[in-house]
Amino acid sequence: MGDESKNSSEEPSQVNQDELILAQQRQIEKEISESIPLVGEMEPISSLNSEYANDEVYLEKIKDLSSKYKHIRRTRPDGNCFFRAYSYAGLERLLDKKDEFNAFYKQAEESKDALVQLGFQQFTVEDFYDIYMEVLKRVGDLTDVDDAKKTLHFLFNEQGYSDYMVVYLRLLTSGQLQKDQDFYSCFIEGDRTVADFCHQEVEPMYKESDHIHIIAACAALNMGVRVVYMDRGNNKSVTEHDFPEGCTPLVHLLYRPGHYDILYP
Amino acid sequence: MAGLSPSERRLQKELMSLMKEPPPGVEVDFDLAEQNLLHWIINMEGAAGTLYEGERFQLQFKFSNKYPFDSPEVTFVGNNIPVHPHIYSNGHICLSILTDDWSPALSVQSVCLSIVSMLSSCKEKQRPPDNAFYVKTCNKNPKKTKWWYHDDSV
Repeated sequence: MGDESKNSSEEPSQVNQDELILAQQRQIEKEISESIPLVGEMEPISSLNSEYANDEVYLEKIKDLSSKYKHIRRTRPDGNCFFRAYSYAGLERLLDKKDEFNAFYKQAEESKDALVQLGFQQFTVEDFYDIYMEVLKRVGDLTDVDDAKKTLHFLFNEQGYSDYMVVYLRLLTSGQLQKDQDFYSCFIEGDRTVADFCHQEVEPMYKESDHIHIIAACAALNMGVRVVYMDRGNNKSVTEHDFPEGCTPLVHLLYRPGHYDILYP
Repeated sequence: MAGLSPSERRLQKELMSLMKEPPPGVEVDFDLAEQNLLHWIINMEGAAGTLYEGERFQLQFKFSNKYPFDSPEVTFVGNNIPVHPHIYSNGHICLSILTDDWSPALSVQSVCLSIVSMLSSCKEKQRPPDNAFYVKTCNKNPKKTKWWYHDDSV
């Protein structure tokens, strides 16, 4: 269980290099965090142009993207963006479909016991579950859809709620991976077990999401997503991938290397 | 539990659970934790059949008001620091769940279990190879050390 250790600064000096690196890292994180809301406002797709002023490859792809989508909603790039974007966008869409929202709510209510049965500690899961259900209830109880969406946006920008939503979705994703570990083990590189992978790459905050996280999250919430990839690749159009394959996606996300934002058709 | 912050509420729950169902060989100083929920001392016994059988250790847990999003600061304190390849003589512990792999789903109990297991799997009592240098240069807070995790076997 333990880990062999090695302190990284090899030469004694007045200044501890480790601390400088960590301090700088914290400063960068703080700057990012202060400049970008956890979940931003809806903006036109053309707002992407300013990020790539002289970049023909990207400008061409933004043109293609704008033929398929009208709006984008940015999320904070803090490693939690997939989980935050996916659950926000999913709930936002469900608010338009009362029946589906109710089914989703019922499924969420039953999710805590399933996690505890998988071996998660009751009191650690409970905190996150309680807040998760509180958010679902607060937005679900509002009869006016616009009010509900405003409340959702407000709560997702309150760290005390937003991060709890992220953690709970991370736990549900981890639970899904461990429940179907025979299936997921073939996606994991190296000799890590599915449980190791969950403890190291899924459950901790700020760890970025890969395909395997997305597949498991979609299975856990039973909610399909289309991810639209936009990168420096040679083709002129953006590429799309649905999870699970062949689904009618409820949520649309834009992926640029290292980051997810929400898209609106 | 009105008037408690979310981190205190969570710690209160953990404290109760640790009192009610402590893992074998682990005992929390309840009165101390009651006085200040952000600072706990945990007494730990070396497990039978391991190199640490019969020894007693003390672990100190310090929590920030961002717990459980922030990991606790965990060190061995007192006059018996276990001699172990991942434990420095100043009580600092090199264990990935205390920094990089911390998750809000972990708890004081799961940290204690990991440390018990780390001690139990030890085959030879010795300090980390860079002990002297580390102890001289490190920050008081082990969370400020940039750890490199190599080996999961001990």
